Amino acid sequence: MRSLQREPGLLLALLAVIVLVGIFIVYPQVRVIATPGTGYIDFLTGGSWVKATLNSLQVMALSTTSAVILGFVFAYAMVYTPMPWKPFFRLVGILPLLSPPFVVAAAYVILFGPRGLITYGIFGQTISVFGLSGIWGVQTIAFFPFAYQLIADVLSRSDARLEQAARNLGAGPWHVFRTVTLPLSRPGLGAAILTTAIYVLEDFGNPALIGGTFTVLPVLAYGQLSGFGDVQGATAISTLLLALALALYFAKIRLDGGRSFVTVSGRASSMPRPPVPAALTWSCFVACLLLSGLILLVYGSLLVSALTLNFPTNFTFTTKHFEYITSGTNGTALQNTLVFGLAAAAFSAAFAILAGWLVQRVAFRGARVLDLLLIMPAAIPGLFFGIGYATAFNEPWLDWLDRGVLIIIAMIFWNIPVGYQAAVAGLRQIDKSMDEAATSLGASSLRGFRDILLPMLGGSLRVGFVTTFVRAVTTLSVVIFLFTPASTVATIRIYQLVNDLNFGAATAFTVADIGMAIAALSVIAVLARGRVALGAARA
Amino acid sequence: MRNNFHLELRHISKKFGETAAVDDISFDIPRGSFATLLGPSGCGKTTTLRMIAGFYDPDKGDIILGGRRINDLPAHRRGTAMVFQDYALFPHMTVRKNVGYGLTLAHLSKAEVDRRVNETLEFVGLGTLGDRWPNQLSGGQQQRVAVARALVLRPEILLLDEPLSNLDAKLRVQLRWELRALQQQLQMTFVYVTHDQDEALSLSDWIAVMNAGRVEQAGAPWDIYYHPRTAFLADFVGAVNLVPATVRDLRGAQAVVSFGERSLTVNVPAGLGVAMGAQVHLCVRPEAIGLAARGASSDGAAFPGTVARKAFLGDLMRYWVTVDGREWMVDQPDPGASTPFDGDVLLEIRPERVHVIAEQAAP
Repeated sequence: MRSLQREPGLLLALLAVIVLVGIFIVYPQVRVIATPGTGYIDFLTGGSWVKATLNSLQVMALSTTSAVILGFVFAYAMVYTPMPWKPFFRLVGILPLLSPPFVVAAAYVILFGPRGLITYGIFGQTISVFGLSGIWGVQTIAFFPFAYQLIADVLSRSDARLEQAARNLGAGPWHVFRTVTLPLSRPGLGAAILTTAIYVLEDFGNPALIGGTFTVLPVLAYGQLSGFGDVQGATAISTLLLALALALYFAKIRLDGGRSFVTVSGRASSMPRPPVPAALTWSCFVACLLLSGLILLVYGSLLVSALTLNFPTNFTFTTKHFEYITSGTNGTALQNTLVFGLAAAAFSAAFAILAGWLVQRVAFRGARVLDLLLIMPAAIPGLFFGIGYATAFNEPWLDWLDRGVLIIIAMIFWNIPVGYQAAVAGLRQIDKSMDEAATSLGASSLRGFRDILLPMLGGSLRVGFVTTFVRAVTTLSVVIFLFTPASTVATIRIYQLVNDLNFGAATAFTVADIGMAIAALSVIAVLARGRVALGAARA
Repeated sequence: MRNNFHLELRHISKKFGETAAVDDISFDIPRGSFATLLGPSGCGKTTTLRMIAGFYDPDKGDIILGGRRINDLPAHRRGTAMVFQDYALFPHMTVRKNVGYGLTLAHLSKAEVDRRVNETLEFVGLGTLGDRWPNQLSGGQQQRVAVARALVLRPEILLLDEPLSNLDAKLRVQLRWELRALQQQLQMTFVYVTHDQDEALSLSDWIAVMNAGRVEQAGAPWDIYYHPRTAFLADFVGAVNLVPATVRDLRGAQAVVSFGERSLTVNVPAGLGVAMGAQVHLCVRPEAIGLAARGASSDGAAFPGTVARKAFLGDLMRYWVTVDGREWMVDQPDPGASTPFDGDVLLEIRPERVHVIAEQAAP
């Protein structure tokens, strides 16, 4: 406390962080929750929410279960077996993290829709693929790679020495897994399952595109606002969605202490895992091949569709879709995506590092509250965040504020938890004696942070930057209430083009969007000489 | 005219939660002395050092440096450079940059920074290693960089937090002498924290032995070793025989004390204030006790005993000798000079080498 009184610069920095968090994280959420007012009564008695809530919970249970099972198989194979082709599988597993989750729905439509390549083209069927089973299948494919990343991280953290010790004491591979690995990883696995459940619950794009009459909460909220202009209804539904997400999130924090931080980088274990039976290795290999095949089918068909005249009926090569998406409004959208993403990533990473340092290293009352507020956006559904900004900052006196800037600010603060958790993880690696050494040599706290800690936190800064960029260019739900024609972005255009059944342009947009994410990752990887990690966890 | 004490602590207390880490301690450190805070882990010595550096704020009390109260000065304005246990060298800076960091902060000209950095590196024997990175240095070299980085600022006072504890035994002893020589050359006040009593005894002009947040005794190493005021001190600093005894008679500065069937006439330290019948501890260092074969003549008290065990330590032989069912530790120097004792022996105690401690809770 006293160090704050002695160092005005430090006090100022802290106040700035608190004010920004107050305005851009707390205030919009409070506005959404407060908006319905007495409307909550109408909303609750109206009853439209009951069906959507049940639908949401049903699809969450189904999709989470299947995504976690597939993710677990993939993760187990990667961590425990010596199967071949691991670098290939690792790459395929990262691909879905670099793309908007709802492109799986787009691929699903062009493959299995009424005029789909497989349903109509091969089997001549025009069956209805929309509804619960469609969402379930699509979300399973869309989110099992996330589950894989989360579970692989938990499994790879289990201590190989303990497993070797158990084997040394005479336990077989299965026995070791059941009695040593699993009990030790249980909290981490539980947290991974809950995190996957949050992704599924918050998913807006997939159910919106292929849900049909099967309405889930985010889709209902969007429909209320964009279809009926019903602000009270939309905010009430969003608040309900937030309550569900927060419940899952706090359960997750209870399990892993809020410290889950996942990085997609090659973790070299100093000790090899005990061997597993060859039959298991090969079964895992086949399973991974099948799953990778599914992912490649999704992204392959997107690529083919983007480069052909009319997928799947006319496979003539063309670049006209790419010409279309790089011109006019579409060109602006692509440019906006890049600019917004870069700006949000830079500010978010920088702000998160400063905030992380203040919370971790400067003693002040309320540090725990600030800590909670900074990780909170991880639990806030993107749609809720977007509605929050639309409600809070859609004021006449704020008309001068450019909508693009507002979108950037929304992306900055929605992604704060990524950079913040990376900063906290980085700071935990740096002994406090580093700060104190700088201080004892005459550096003020802020000066020591700038000269000593910041250069040592390069890894955290990169994780924050890259992950925020990827999330910013792939989010649909955060921007869907905020964009204007001048400030539209790729994900919005993809969503609109799919709804217009212009799949050629939609898929070309998707390819360009994913290409941007891959390019950003590659540039950073080259700049950092390969030392790059991507925070896979959205929470 | 202010007194000659460089650093004064007045009734300093510090609590962490409910635990009192430092409990009302006061001491004065003379200018230009090598002062050591010695104690077991958790005794409050590092907390005290960190309060002097300004990393912790004391709950109560005053810290006075050079006649000025520094409690309210932020850590980076105190002029109390510190050498850390893990050295805390900045990994992204070369040796030269590390050493020059504090000077750069003080807005010295580049030429002046270079000059002083070179001079200091030369001084600690690292003249050729300026362009290395910390991870390219050995432990001993890193330790020297840490010292150079602090010394280059010509601080008011140098704080050292167990700076030798991460080094291997031989280097630790060598660097001990280097540090002492450095301090004497510079005539700078050093405040040194360690749990190693050998280190404390061999380096210091002044030692404060701390236990459970309090200073048990402060003074010259000689006094601490030979005239400990408590049984804890006697036991913590060096090996010792602590024998419970009863005062049977008082004759001026001397007392007759008995333990079991035996009795001795010993000197009583001034101001100890023991009464007839009081319970005391006799404190006898193992090297102050002699051994002789049974039947040899002796000029002190000689008790017949039996060698229970012995251990060869190279420079000395340590015996455990049983006398009336009590074991005594006895050190004999230069074991190679004669045949080691075995079986029945005489334990020789010279009364003037026995120090009396008033009864307290025994360790």
